[in-house]
Amino acid sequence: MALLQISEPGKTTAPHQHKLAIGIDLGTTNSLVATVKSGLAQTIADENDQHLLPSVVQFKGKNEQGYQTQVGFIAQQNASKDPQNTIVSAKRYMGRGLDDVKKHAIYDFVTEGDSVVPRIRTIAGNISAVEVSSEILKALKQRALDALGGDLTGAVITVPAYFDDAQRQATKDAAKLAGLNVLRLINEPTAAAVAYGLDTGSEGIHVIYDLGGGTFDISILKLTRGIFEVLSTAGDSALGGDDIDYIITDWILEEAQINEPEASLLRQILDTAREAKEALSQQDHFAFSLDIGEGKIWEAELSREHFEKLIKPLIRKTLVSCRRALRDADIDSDDIQDVVMVGGSTRVPLVRQIVGEFFSTEPLVDLDPDKVVAIGAARQADILVGNKSDEDMLLLDVTPLSLGLETMGGLAEKVIHRNTTIPVARAQDFTTFKDGQTAMAIHVVQGERELISDCRSLARFELRGIPPMVAGAARIRVTFQIDADGLLAVSAREETSGVESSIQVKPSYGLSDGEIETMLKDSFSYAQDDIDARKLREEQVEASRVVEALNAALDEDGDKLLSSDERDEIRQAIDELVEVAQENNQRAIKLKIEAVDKVTAEFAQRRMDVSINLALSGQSVKDM
Amino acid sequence: MKNNLDTGADNYFSVLGLPISFDIDKTTLTQNYHELQKTVHPDKFANAGDLERRLSVQKAAWINDALETLKNPLRRSIYLLSLHGIELSDNDTSIDPAFLMEQMELRENLSEVVAKDDPLSELDVILDDVNARIKRTINHLGGLFSKLLSESDSENDDSLLKEAKAEVLKMQFLNRLQEECLNKEEDLADQF
Repeated sequence: MALLQISEPGKTTAPHQHKLAIGIDLGTTNSLVATVKSGLAQTIADENDQHLLPSVVQFKGKNEQGYQTQVGFIAQQNASKDPQNTIVSAKRYMGRGLDDVKKHAIYDFVTEGDSVVPRIRTIAGNISAVEVSSEILKALKQRALDALGGDLTGAVITVPAYFDDAQRQATKDAAKLAGLNVLRLINEPTAAAVAYGLDTGSEGIHVIYDLGGGTFDISILKLTRGIFEVLSTAGDSALGGDDIDYIITDWILEEAQINEPEASLLRQILDTAREAKEALSQQDHFAFSLDIGEGKIWEAELSREHFEKLIKPLIRKTLVSCRRALRDADIDSDDIQDVVMVGGSTRVPLVRQIVGEFFSTEPLVDLDPDKVVAIGAARQADILVGNKSDEDMLLLDVTPLSLGLETMGGLAEKVIHRNTTIPVARAQDFTTFKDGQTAMAIHVVQGERELISDCRSLARFELRGIPPMVAGAARIRVTFQIDADGLLAVSAREETSGVESSIQVKPSYGLSDGEIETMLKDSFSYAQDDIDARKLREEQVEASRVVEALNAALDEDGDKLLSSDERDEIRQAIDELVEVAQENNQRAIKLKIEAVDKVTAEFAQRRMDVSINLALSGQSVKDM
Repeated sequence: MKNNLDTGADNYFSVLGLPISFDIDKTTLTQNYHELQKTVHPDKFANAGDLERRLSVQKAAWINDALETLKNPLRRSIYLLSLHGIELSDNDTSIDPAFLMEQMELRENLSEVVAKDDPLSELDVILDDVNARIKRTINHLGGLFSKLLSESDSENDDSLLKEAKAEVLKMQFLNRLQEECLNKEEDLADQF
């Protein structure tokens, strides 16, 4: 048996190079970017020393270079003057349909052609929430590049834990439009737990209560020796500080007897409502003085007591999710070490009080509820790009919603249950209904209810190319896989003949690949030349990644796991790839990588199996 | 009878470093699971090529499935049966009629809970009953599988397997009922 090669402690085999990676908290109200610098995770400020970037984008028209925008504080100030073109809280519209977004919206939503994605009519044309978010991401990316310089390897972007597949996909699409390489989407409460857990190093069970501007999450995590294991998560992806603002706004509209206000007045009232909410977190009264048009000034006072009475039902609503998360985690409240408050809306004293009463413990509020998510994301990004090769930290997260299929009678059959650890793959077998049937339709939904109509439609799939057989003879195995980003992929195969069926995906909400491609082309940052250059560059990076990884693998395991013929074949494939990668032909490089993958698939499989076997034998050595 | 116990192929028990048994050492299970995920999780392959990234997602999913299977008594039982060459099918009707009658009664009680004065505590009574039944079934299964896996002579295997399968079918019913109780509890709690 060959001896294992072990390098000297503290030294890695390859020269260490610090890669630039960032963590982004793409929030409903504010967004942040953070990075790890000299071992310290910190948020990055703009040139005015502001860390928060208001998630507000003002569209200012369009020229041949694309649309012109203003992002952040200035856009926020202009919101009431230019309400239709200034998009606030776009995150609430991510991955949503026209029916979902119409509630409370002060924008003019339309759909275009075959697209199911609602767009906002602005001076710069019809704009989707994905494009609005991509403008915010671009601004944060630029901020990071200005502050840090150099090449950006990638970003970890956070999403609410309770985001469904369409909302996650929309976030990833926005990153793509912004030209960001997404290392991973991670859940906001998990990111907060990383920041908190690594700070305190406290092992045990932690509850993260995250009430943001537009979303609510509760996650229960167990921290053991660097492993953050999410036991359960629950929440509401349409409940947050914005809803508190709406409640106050409704109160103002009623008290001031305003019917059907114009967009600019409504924006102004919403802003005042927010001001009142923030003030009432500190003081006992708030005095309104509002210009409601026609020379009329409305004056009134709101006491904290009355404010709390108004919002109490909303806060209590979060407890339903808390109860469910506790049950799914299968723990007693006594097992909980602490409850950590995250998100700007946890500044409201009533929130702290109600949560404290529910968990019978004083919630922890000493972390900056705005920054903690971005900081956790930056730490994870730093690890994922390999800046800390000896890092033992690992996040094991779950899927928040059950994944099901439509069966006869409009019922949903669950394939993957909520709070299953990801990645996860489950197969389901189907058969044909008629003789000679060659195609089949499958409807995938997310949600907990029995009726399809009560669940969220994710996509409809059409399987084609089933070999003709008598009814019931075909066995089509459909595999649903949720990856580490929480995103679903589906594949299908006819088992008796081994035929791979082709799948056509029609997402129920979200942009098609074609739409994204068009947006990329339309976008000012990517003229056609830029797109081609970028694609070539990405392919070359992928090629060098493959070559580097393979050479390391050959050094490590080539002699042990391969015959000399197999080694020669792989070496030759690598040489060919190196050669092709130097030329400027993206397509040729892509094909060559695929060829290399084919030649090395067996080797990769063997290596993975060996490392699985070694993982546990290493463990038993340690135990001795 | 097909028997997959001695094929030496990777099964969920061996991959997680445990002996094939109904009784599970949860501490070892969790520890081994963590060690394995530290090796195969996609986060450890964020810098690798596409091929290895895909492979790591598959392996990590497989190990997650192994953990879920061994952690859950029902799934563990079904898996043990499959290692003995017994697969459950969806339309298996070989269930004890007396048991079915009991189930129907429990279900009826459950559907009447909403109309009661104190539905939540009524529901608790049913849930306690269901949980007790589940516990009994688990104990029974534990006994059956330990006989099956320890005895060297395989004379009684067929009847033991048959009995185990019958218990697993009951357990499926009870688990579904438990889930319905919990859903009902959630619905009721939401109203307050």
